[in-house]
Amino acid sequence: MKSPVRFERRLEQPKWLNWAIPVVSLIAALVLGAIVLLATGKNPLDVYSRIFERGFAGTRALSGSIKTATPLAFTGLCAAIAFRMGLINIGGEGQFYMGAVGATWAGLVFGGDLPTGAVVIVMALSGMVCGGLYAAIVGVLRAKFNTNEIITSLMMNYLAAIFLNYLIYNSASYWRDPESRNFPAGKPIPDRADWNFYEVGGIKIPLSFLIAILAAAAIWVLYKRTRFGFEVGVIADSPKAARYAGIRTTSTIVIVLALSGALAGLGGAADVGNFRGLLDSKGLQMSGYGYTGIVVAALARLNPISTVVVAVLIGGLTNAGFALQGPDFPSGLVGTLQGLILFTAVAGEVLVKYRIRRNRRAAAVLA
Amino acid sequence: MTGIVKRFPGVVANDGVDVDIRAGEVHALLGENGAGKSTLSNILTGLYRPDEGTVEIDGRAMQFSSPRDALDAGIGMVHQHFRLVSTFTVAENVVLGESDSPFMMDQSRVAQQVEELSNRYGLAVDPSARIWQLSVGEQQRVEIVKVLYRGAKVLILDEPTAVLTPIEADALFKTLRAMVAEGRTVIFISHKLDEVMKVSDRVTVLRGGKTVGTVETVNTNTRELASLMVGRSVEFNRVARSIPADVSQTVLSLRGVSARDDRGRDALHDISLTVGRGEIVGVAGVAGNGQRELAEAISGMRALSSGHIDVAGEHVQSGRARSAIAKGIAHIPEDRLHTGLASSHSVEDNLALKNYRSSSLSKFRVLRRKAIRAQATDLVQNYDVKTPDTVTPVRLLSGGNVQKVLLAREFSSLPKVLIAASPTRGLDVGAIETVRARLVDAAERGVGILLISEDLDEIMSLADRIVVMYEGRLVDEVAAESADRERLGLTMGGSTVSGGAR
Amino acid sequence: MNSNIFVIIASSAIFYGTPLFFAALGGIFTERSGVLNLGVEGTMLLGGVSGAWASQHVPGSAWFTVLAAIIIGVAAGALTSTLLAFLCVTLRTNQTVAGLAITIFAGGVGLSSYFANIWKVAEDPVDRQVRRLDVLGWADAPVVGPILFNQTILTYLSWVLVVLASVYLFRTRFGLQLRAVGESPQTADAMGINVVKYRYLHTILGGALAGLGGVYYSLAIVPTWVDGMTKGAGWIAIALVIFGFWRPSITLIGAYLFGALQSLSSTLKARNVQVSGDVLDALPFFMTIVVLVLVSTRFAHRRLGAPAALGVPYEREER
Repeated sequence: MKSPVRFERRLEQPKWLNWAIPVVSLIAALVLGAIVLLATGKNPLDVYSRIFERGFAGTRALSGSIKTATPLAFTGLCAAIAFRMGLINIGGEGQFYMGAVGATWAGLVFGGDLPTGAVVIVMALSGMVCGGLYAAIVGVLRAKFNTNEIITSLMMNYLAAIFLNYLIYNSASYWRDPESRNFPAGKPIPDRADWNFYEVGGIKIPLSFLIAILAAAAIWVLYKRTRFGFEVGVIADSPKAARYAGIRTTSTIVIVLALSGALAGLGGAADVGNFRGLLDSKGLQMSGYGYTGIVVAALARLNPISTVVVAVLIGGLTNAGFALQGPDFPSGLVGTLQGLILFTAVAGEVLVKYRIRRNRRAAAVLA
Repeated sequence: MTGIVKRFPGVVANDGVDVDIRAGEVHALLGENGAGKSTLSNILTGLYRPDEGTVEIDGRAMQFSSPRDALDAGIGMVHQHFRLVSTFTVAENVVLGESDSPFMMDQSRVAQQVEELSNRYGLAVDPSARIWQLSVGEQQRVEIVKVLYRGAKVLILDEPTAVLTPIEADALFKTLRAMVAEGRTVIFISHKLDEVMKVSDRVTVLRGGKTVGTVETVNTNTRELASLMVGRSVEFNRVARSIPADVSQTVLSLRGVSARDDRGRDALHDISLTVGRGEIVGVAGVAGNGQRELAEAISGMRALSSGHIDVAGEHVQSGRARSAIAKGIAHIPEDRLHTGLASSHSVEDNLALKNYRSSSLSKFRVLRRKAIRAQATDLVQNYDVKTPDTVTPVRLLSGGNVQKVLLAREFSSLPKVLIAASPTRGLDVGAIETVRARLVDAAERGVGILLISEDLDEIMSLADRIVVMYEGRLVDEVAAESADRERLGLTMGGSTVSGGAR
Repeated sequence: MNSNIFVIIASSAIFYGTPLFFAALGGIFTERSGVLNLGVEGTMLLGGVSGAWASQHVPGSAWFTVLAAIIIGVAAGALTSTLLAFLCVTLRTNQTVAGLAITIFAGGVGLSSYFANIWKVAEDPVDRQVRRLDVLGWADAPVVGPILFNQTILTYLSWVLVVLASVYLFRTRFGLQLRAVGESPQTADAMGINVVKYRYLHTILGGALAGLGGVYYSLAIVPTWVDGMTKGAGWIAIALVIFGFWRPSITLIGAYLFGALQSLSSTLKARNVQVSGDVLDALPFFMTIVVLVLVSTRFAHRRLGAPAALGVPYEREER
């Protein structure tokens, strides 16, 4: 069964492909989505223009989109860091939750006493620590026991979700609002602990979005400029060369995963501090930020700065999806488009690595 | 096989090879690495197609387009690297891929047949044992049974004793003779002279892709085979040394070094060796006798199971590449693009691969990019590396320039010891000259060099002293001036100097 | 006696465990060929919504409609996994990301929800369901009645499948070749086995079974379609494959265990038995991690572990 085409590894990866592929992927996904819409009797132009309008047109739309984009930026960075070293961390979801737990605790404990700036720092740090440690478990299992990090991080997501349910629904924990007996809810952090928003040209930008940008820049610097980043790059390129150069692979694996989890945890902290103000078990689980973050990272081709940009894009899409929900706007369109984007992104990735060649061998065999 | 020609990019593996094999004999194909033995056998088993030439079986011309065809024609091969599924049982492996086995597997019938075959030829294997439970020798027996089960009349074995102990090897030879007595034919590929003498009826020697001669085993001896294998003494030009080595100062010392290979078997046995200041010690031997493990052990990539390594009197920690680098051991590995370099990384990154931690190139854990670039620009110029710029990924460079990058990095670190493994393999003439000149130059500046190479000419022209590695041991040591090609050929093939089998 | 708590739990365990088993069995076939399918959740949902649609729109007798619905659900699952196979086997993309893409694409906020909306599946309850049967009239027999004789036809099908699957995997030539493809595609290829064909076929088969599991949800468990109704069953099924050591028989038992745990907390609460439902919920996932760590160790890996080539795209070397 000889196929008519074969894939040949490219030797050079032309630079222009780096941005061309994501753009083409996005367009291809939109086209495929349009086909689905048409096939089910909807007008794609109409739908897309409404999405654009609600997601990106005008200050209100942009404010909402950036708000939605913020947690995605963090989980996107979480996925990007790990994937860059070949570690498939899909536990961003659970690490996000744990960060939210830690930050809420910090906000509740310190929120009344410390000035806002200090509380923000404390909350952010506890979010990072919780998320980081949670991910480090996956890292140790992988580094020491060679346990597949995909499955373990996935299972940890479920354990984290159950933990959230326990804290809010099934116990009288510190995180639960004692006054909410009938409809269990989280205890809100003091007003002083709320994170700020900044107005720029009419658009409300949350503090955490700025933190995300900073984090992206920091990661970029880390990977491009530091010794650690250099070592990670070499390990990803060739584990044998890393061994040759005396780089310690085991500890690097744990550190990278911990960093990855810390970023997701920071996202969780931001979510509590800037947006929800309490531990919202149900809301967090329904948002699925961790998984969407992987879509963001894939489309951004694992580049930290692009990740933030793509997060805004996907955030706008998601935001528009929420705003437009109603009888005449099909639900499920957001997930469908996100899925299509991920498909085209991975297919595009293949084109970067391989070229398609017509298989001439078939002719020679018959001759 | 007549007039077989097979070309690969950059090399003619078989250049008009004629081999004539009679039924019911054990025919040995002898030659060094790169002589073309594997290529020839791959053609015979249908994995490759010859560019020119014909293959005839019983007088009929055959065209194989896949291994299936060869199997149907009765030719079966036992490869050096076994094709076995390690979690399956012996019986399952034997029957795997059989197109006319029944839908429902009858385990007991297969087991019975396996037992029958194994008893007939003295290949004891337990059909229900799992592959990972078996020793390497037993696994090889499974491979043989696999081939016999499919009714192979001609068996090709590629370097079968490379993985066997001497006792297992003898058992194998008994088996081969039993098969031949039944009328089957065996083609035995090897570089080991005494084994060829022991087991074969006739020998064809290949060298450089051509047939050098075919002789009846009874009419020859190891000496003659050795000279056929490595060629008559060609006048080699010894590179002139203006500054001789200073053997009194030892820069590298190995005492009783043993190490295991990736499969957990012993690759190095009790190796003791010294290299003096400015001395070039050539390690001769056919590939696969432990050379890679030796290089890795010294450079810290592989932990020792026993023994010590010292550099200029200072102990090097076993298995710690950083320690080796810090003590001044440089290593140009055989596998340039995947071990010595991170191939997708830029030239400048690769040039900094070992010294990026030093204070000149990084401060407070941050890399000083300007300094890295400056170092790279400098080295590229001094070592004449042809590259568009220092940010080009190294895998885009030509083979010669890739090697120059490696040389640049390793030499510029001012090492005390340099391990150079196959440094000129695959390079063009000009590059070869450059590399050799650099090696001599380094030696003259006092670097102790361990030159590991399969190219005997190269070793004889560059080395001050030559040692021979065979099956993980150092079996011979001579001064270069008095080195004799034939003797080296003998010891490389495992024979002792007196010329008989061990 | 039949309202005894153990009887109820056992009966529920089988009832709720069946779809988990279907999806996991599909996972076993797919993973045994070397492909990791993380798109099970989405595939199940697409199967479920397709089955629900068919049940509401295919004319004919009740039996015919239900049968058609099952077949359509299975087909939907198979189609979805064909996409996965294309991405993973032909394009050789990262299998994890491809699987996740399918789950996001088809999942609770994706295509399955979109179709449900378009086809207005959720508006009416699904009349034509897969109901629990009364086999041989023994549904009320003491103890075994509710447990064994009061299940759906799909459950009985699953019992047949366990046997068929076990025989296929361990006693037939094709099963041997499949396992070889998953353990060492290079060796299988060298022995003349078509790796691509086996991977495609078994990935599609895995999707078909996941679709069947999804249909079970929409037609047997809940009579109305709800977006994302599998509630993570697909992910549990992935864990179940490991928990069952890639063997159908153990997987069936594991499915019932997980099914029991699922229904346990609510059953106990209804009895006013105070038990931490969360610990029970967490147990399957925690156990899976433990099992995974154990099978990763050298000792267990050879005897019990995952197919060695799982998750690694296969590239044949040039001739």
